[in-house]
Amino acid sequence: MIRPLIIKATIHSITAVATGHFEVRLDSRELAAAIPGQFVHVRTPGTLRRPISFSRLDRAQGRVGILWQVVGAGTRWLSEQPAGSQLDVLGPLGHGFPAPQADRPWCLVGGGVGIPPVFAALEAWQDVVQAPITAVLGARREDLLTMGDDFRDRIDDVRITTDDGSRGGRGTVLGPLAHWRAQNPNGQVYACGPTAMLAQVAQVCQGVEHVYLALEQRMGCGMGACLACVVLAQGKHGPEWRRVCHDGPVFAAEELIW
Amino acid sequence: MKGVNLEVAVGAVRLANPVMAASGTFGFGPEYADLVNLSRLGGIAAKGVSPDPWPGNPPPRVWETESGLLNSIGLQNPGVEVFCREDLPFLAAAGTRVVVNVIGHTVDEYCRVVERLEAESAVDAIELNISCPNIKEGGLTFGQDPIHAAEVTAAVRAITRRPLWVKLSPNVAEPERIAEAVATAGADAVTAINTVLGMAIDLKRRRPALGGLSGGLSGPAIKPIALRVVYQVAQAVDIPIVGIGGIRTAEDVAEFLMAGASAVMVGTATFADPTTMERIIDDLPECLERLGVTTPIELIGQALPGRL
Ligand SMILES: Cc1cc2nc3c(=O)[nH]c(=O)nc-3n(C[C@H](O)[C@H](O)[C@H](O)COP(=O)(O)OP(=O)(O)OC[C@H]3O[C@@H](n4cnc5c(N)ncnc54)[C@H](O)[C@@H]3O)c2cc1C
Ligand SMILES: Cc1cc2nc3c(=O)[nH]c(=O)nc-3n(C[C@H](O)[C@H](O)[C@H](O)COP(=O)(O)O)c2cc1C
Ligand code: FES
Repeated sequence: MIRPLIIKATIHSITAVATGHFEVRLDSRELAAAIPGQFVHVRTPGTLRRPISFSRLDRAQGRVGILWQVVGAGTRWLSEQPAGSQLDVLGPLGHGFPAPQADRPWCLVGGGVGIPPVFAALEAWQDVVQAPITAVLGARREDLLTMGDDFRDRIDDVRITTDDGSRGGRGTVLGPLAHWRAQNPNGQVYACGPTAMLAQVAQVCQGVEHVYLALEQRMGCGMGACLACVVLAQGKHGPEWRRVCHDGPVFAAEELIW
Repeated sequence: MKGVNLEVAVGAVRLANPVMAASGTFGFGPEYADLVNLSRLGGIAAKGVSPDPWPGNPPPRVWETESGLLNSIGLQNPGVEVFCREDLPFLAAAGTRVVVNVIGHTVDEYCRVVERLEAESAVDAIELNISCPNIKEGGLTFGQDPIHAAEVTAAVRAITRRPLWVKLSPNVAEPERIAEAVATAGADAVTAINTVLGMAIDLKRRRPALGGLSGGLSGPAIKPIALRVVYQVAQAVDIPIVGIGGIRTAEDVAEFLMAGASAVMVGTATFADPTTMERIIDDLPECLERLGVTTPIELIGQALPGRL
């Protein structure tokens, strides 16, 4: 695993990909060697950096993608940076997804801005998995859905849900996921999304051996030093806090206590 | 500008330069070792250690505020035994001064940590964090009352000859009274300041934002508070002061020295820019030159009354 660096990465392009959502391609050979599920801590005005996951990792071109939704001052500032300017990014950080197993059906579950990191996983390991691959993508409304076409370009089985039914099935990712799970008892699941969604993914997938969840938590340092970003996990001697920035953001579902 | 002598001393503890990492913001050292050349730092204050492991508070544990950061980590740490076995050896080999921040809920708990540290030669100074709730006094912190601050300082003084620093809380009407009390009780230096009590409300959840409800404010927002405390304490006691609170630049360091500090610590600024401390060390010689001095020592206390 490559060690974290502070990198001044040039913005190759910045694109509005959905209402209030932007994706940037950054030129950086170092970052391109990262693992899907890892993230960068991006400098914005203010006291803290902002954690954002990789949406793509293109080793050949030495280019990575990060995709975010504008929710506050930091992400708004990011969306205003022009192509050609530089971002100060700290990364790659944390532990990403493990490589999937070749012979197990693979389900990628993304909710909202949890979609980009599972796309990075698909891009990296599509060729590794010889069994069927399914993606379940959820958004609140059609215009908030990202990366649907990227998934479609790569796999046939893409199931989309929106809260209001404006695209795909009405409801959340849990419906299609439960359906997939019933048909694929020996499958593997990689998921990212809001914490409440991930808790339910863990619930729906109980008994499935290979369920990996990429979590969010409020962060300080991003380097494992400040103990801000903890989640409760099952330790050897009972419940213990683990750091999302350093022990995660990807955890095996069975490790976590909700 | 190379070759400028940046050495300072906090009592008997000599530092290569005045810039140390603040407790709780720099882990136990290895976390930032990929990004920071630890041997260039004046020192590292380790995260607070207690006699037994402390679990800390539920998340969220940090919340960004205007020019600052609120935290309610709750002093999570693995306990002094694990610290000595697993973390201290790394710090000992880091090529810098090692300050061990000590926490407890009772006088006896502070003493147990310090007793255990007596067996370790790598400890250059002990820093008592007296902002911990004193469970025998209904949760009032040791640092809120000169009597209890003096009591814990004297008890620790009785069991160690190591340099003993006491870290002051700004959450009292007259921090200089606490400083006087701990100086009389045998402290070799005071660190000022710890975080300022505060709160944030999460609009979405309509609740206090932090898992610990209230928390400690740090960062640039508290620099004026810290400078005021250092300035006042410097006039009240003769022991050296380590200044801390919102420091980001060499100029900030110069201000703290002028207010009466002999050295400083940098905390929150490391989060946004992990190279902050090294940058300050690089910038200090030029800053000193602009101020017309050749060493940081010359700046100490220049802003104090009678020195103008
Ligand atoms: C490991 C990780 C990966 C992430 N990946 C992505 C991604 O790929 N795309 C994306 O759009 N978002 C992602 N997020 C969430 C993203 O970090 C926040 O939306 C962003 O920090 C908000 O910053 P702001 O200044 O716009 O919002 P504000 O609400 O003004 O931010 C205030 C503070 O709260 C923090 N904060 C706010 N929301 C979150 C959150 N959901 N999680 C953690 N901290 C938060 C900010 O970092 C900042 O310190 C990720 C979070 C984590 C922890
Ligand atoms: C996340 C965090 C954890 C902290 N933990 C400790 C601690 O364990 N012991 C302690 O004495 N001070 C602790 N502090 C206080 C800092 O050492 C320092 O006094 C304070 O943050 C002000 O400095 P700054 O503005 O440079 O951060 C902590 C501060 C932060 C932000
Ligand atoms: S954000 Fe500091 S330990 Fe994770």
